[in-house]
Amino acid sequence: MDFIEKIGRLDRRIIFLTVALAVILPLFFPLGLPIEVTPPVQQLYDVIEGLPGGSVVMMSIDYDPSGAPELQPATLSILRHCFRRDLKVLMLGLWAPGVPLGVRALDEVGVGEFNKEYGVDFVNFGYKPGGAVTLVNLGRDIHDVCRQDIYGTAVEELPMMDDVKAANDIGLVLSMSMGVPGSDQWIWYYHARYQGNLATAQTAIGAPRYYQYLQTGQLVGLVGGMKGSAEYERLVDHMGLATTGMDSQSIAHLLIIGFVILGNIVYWAEKRRKA
Amino acid sequence: MLMTTGPWVWVAALLTLAIYSFLYKDNPVYKVAEYIFVGLSAGYWAAFLWWNYAYPNLFEPLARGNYWNIIPIAMGLMMFTQLSRRTSWMVRFPLTFVLGVSLGLQIVAAVEGDMVPQLAGTFSPFTRGAMFNTYDFWTSVGYIVLLVGVLATITYFFFSKEHKGILGVSSKVGIYFLMVAFGASFGYTIMARISLLFGRVHFLLSDWMHVLK
Repeated sequence: MDFIEKIGRLDRRIIFLTVALAVILPLFFPLGLPIEVTPPVQQLYDVIEGLPGGSVVMMSIDYDPSGAPELQPATLSILRHCFRRDLKVLMLGLWAPGVPLGVRALDEVGVGEFNKEYGVDFVNFGYKPGGAVTLVNLGRDIHDVCRQDIYGTAVEELPMMDDVKAANDIGLVLSMSMGVPGSDQWIWYYHARYQGNLATAQTAIGAPRYYQYLQTGQLVGLVGGMKGSAEYERLVDHMGLATTGMDSQSIAHLLIIGFVILGNIVYWAEKRRKA
Repeated sequence: MLMTTGPWVWVAALLTLAIYSFLYKDNPVYKVAEYIFVGLSAGYWAAFLWWNYAYPNLFEPLARGNYWNIIPIAMGLMMFTQLSRRTSWMVRFPLTFVLGVSLGLQIVAAVEGDMVPQLAGTFSPFTRGAMFNTYDFWTSVGYIVLLVGVLATITYFFFSKEHKGILGVSSKVGIYFLMVAFGASFGYTIMARISLLFGRVHFLLSDWMHVLK
C-alpha cells in the first residue's frame, strides 16, 4: 500500500484527533495571532459611538446556549460599549433559552463592571413569543408588547421606560441571532416598517447572507461569528473568550485547508491511476 | 488546581464526553446521552409551549372572562380532526386562517424588506451616480462585480431557453459566482463548527477541570 492509498484510507478518527489537538493546544500555548477589525464590525462600533448619551439600545437575544461560544462574547462586548457610553439597554429575546444568557450578561457587565441600576439604566423583558406579529406591534407600542419585565414588574413602574414608547424612541436595535426567529424577522417585520438603526451579530454559519443587507443600508453593522466577537473585544479593549478562541480557530482552519488540499491531491492521483 | 465540585458542571461535562464518544464509535454511553437529550427536549418544549403560548394567551384570559378566546381554542382543536377520515374536512378552517395570516405578513415583508431594498441596492449606485461620484476605485469595481454577479446568477436559473450563446456564457459566469458564494458559506460553516468545539473544550478545561484560567 503506497502513500496515496494510505492517505485515501486514513481512519477518520485520526482527523478528529488532529482537529481536537489543533483546538486544545493553542489554549495552553497561545500564539497571539493578530486580529484585524473588519469594516462591518467597525461600522457597528462607530454607530454606537455616535449615539447621544442616554439613547436606548434594544438588544434582542435570539440565540440559545449552542450559539453562546460565538455570540455571548459579542453580547458582553457590546454591553460594555453601551454602558461605557452611558447608553440605556432594553433587552428582550425571541428565543426562550437565550433569556438566562441575557440575564447573566447584564449581571456581569451592567451590575458587576459598571454598577448600573436595573430599571433606570437597563431593563430586561425576557422572552417575547409571537415572532413576526410581536415585532410588528413592538415598533408601534413597546408598552403593549412588553407589559411586564422578567421579574414581573409592570412596565409603568420602570423609570427607564417612561420615555421609551415606540420605535422612534430607540437609537439602535441589535439582533444577536443564530436562526429563526431572528435577524431576518427584525429586518422584514420591524426595520421595513419603522426604519432606524438595525445591526446584527450572527453565528458564523449565518453571517454570509447578511452582507447583502449591509450593502443596502438595512443593517448598520454586522458581527460575524467568533471572529467578529474577537474584533469587538479588541475595539472595546477587553479581551475575552472570543479572543482566546481565535488562535484555536486559526490553527484548526489551517489544518482543514491542509486536509482539503491533501484530499484533492489523493482524489486526482487515484483518478489518474485508474485512467 | 482541583476539579470542580459543582454537581451540574459534572453532569454537563460527562454528558459532553458521552456525546463526543460517538466520534470513536457508536456505543451505549452515547445512546444514553442521546436519549436523555431527546427526552429532556420533548419535556422542555411541552412545558415551554404551555407556559409561553397556550396558558398566558388562551386559557388565562379565558378564565378571566375573555370568551372570544373560545374561537382560537376551537380552531386549535380542529387541527386534531384530521386524525379521523370522517371529520378531517374541518381541518381546512384553521389551516386556511393560518395560511392567510402568514401570507399576509410574509408577502408584505418579502417585498418591503427584501425585494425592493435589494433591487434598489443593486442598481442605485448606477442610477444615482454613486458609482461615478465615488473616488474609491475598488468601491466602483465592487458595484460592477455586484451587478454582473446578480445578472449572471439570475440567468443561470433561467430555464425557459437553452443555455447557449450569450445566455450560456452568462450562466457559466453565474456558476462561478455561486461557487464563490458556496465557498464563503463553507468557510464560515467550518468557523461555526470549530467555535462549537472550542466552546465545549473551553468548558471542559476551565469550568470542569480548572486547568485553564
